[in-house]
Amino acid sequence: MNLKAFNRALWVYHLNTGSCNGCDIEILAVLTPRYDAERFGVMLVGSPRHADVLLVTGPVARSMEASVRRIYAQTPDPKVVIVVGNCGTEGDVFHEAYSLVGPVDQIIPVDVYVLGCAPRPEAIIHGVVMAWAKLERLVKGEVV
Amino acid sequence: MSLLEYGYAVWAPLVWILALVVVGVIVLILRNRGRKSYKKGTAQGDIFLSGIAVPAEEQRHVKAANIYWGFFEALKGFYKGMMRPHTGIVNDYILWFVAVLTVTVLILLLTS
Repeated sequence: MNLKAFNRALWVYHLNTGSCNGCDIEILAVLTPRYDAERFGVMLVGSPRHADVLLVTGPVARSMEASVRRIYAQTPDPKVVIVVGNCGTEGDVFHEAYSLVGPVDQIIPVDVYVLGCAPRPEAIIHGVVMAWAKLERLVKGEVV
Repeated sequence: MSLLEYGYAVWAPLVWILALVVVGVIVLILRNRGRKSYKKGTAQGDIFLSGIAVPAEEQRHVKAANIYWGFFEALKGFYKGMMRPHTGIVNDYILWFVAVLTVTVLILLLTS
């Protein structure tokens, strides 16, 4: 994969919309020394206004809906959304819960799905690479 | 360049102006390197407050007095007692002054 148009470090904002924390722990595993994604410049940031990627976990609880919409709107273009885990992808065991408005793609557009409960760090890294490739195409104007 | 020396430091206005200009240029260079791809005038320029709606400016303003909240709370008993004699009436303050002066003079006379 030849990344030339998106020529800076990839900054990620992690948004938990009601996850059990399983996926979040795996995301931390991606960043800690065993997998160490930060050596490629992939870094978690504290504000979506600094981010290129929204990394969303959880099936979107009703109380989080407005926040998810707001955070997506506040992320500057070009941006991509990665959903990590089955809950955010299709609700998983919570799909009929009264308190949910998800999955995530019912609320905001999603570019990459990483399946698993919880997905392994290798799968999350693969998802991030897919997102990076999508960003490259977005910057080039190949996709909208 | 005129220097004003006052013992332990030097006050040189031109040096300060020069330093401010240098700092200003560095700030502008750093600011200019910031991300430009966001859409101005949209939510992408709004204040981020952990995803919750940002209250109006007058509601989110934190007054300097707020940092003393714990201090006042901890010393509430003391302040409550001290506020009682502070009536704001000059006659009361003069009375306090005369009383304290009398006690002081009495102590001085008795101990001398």
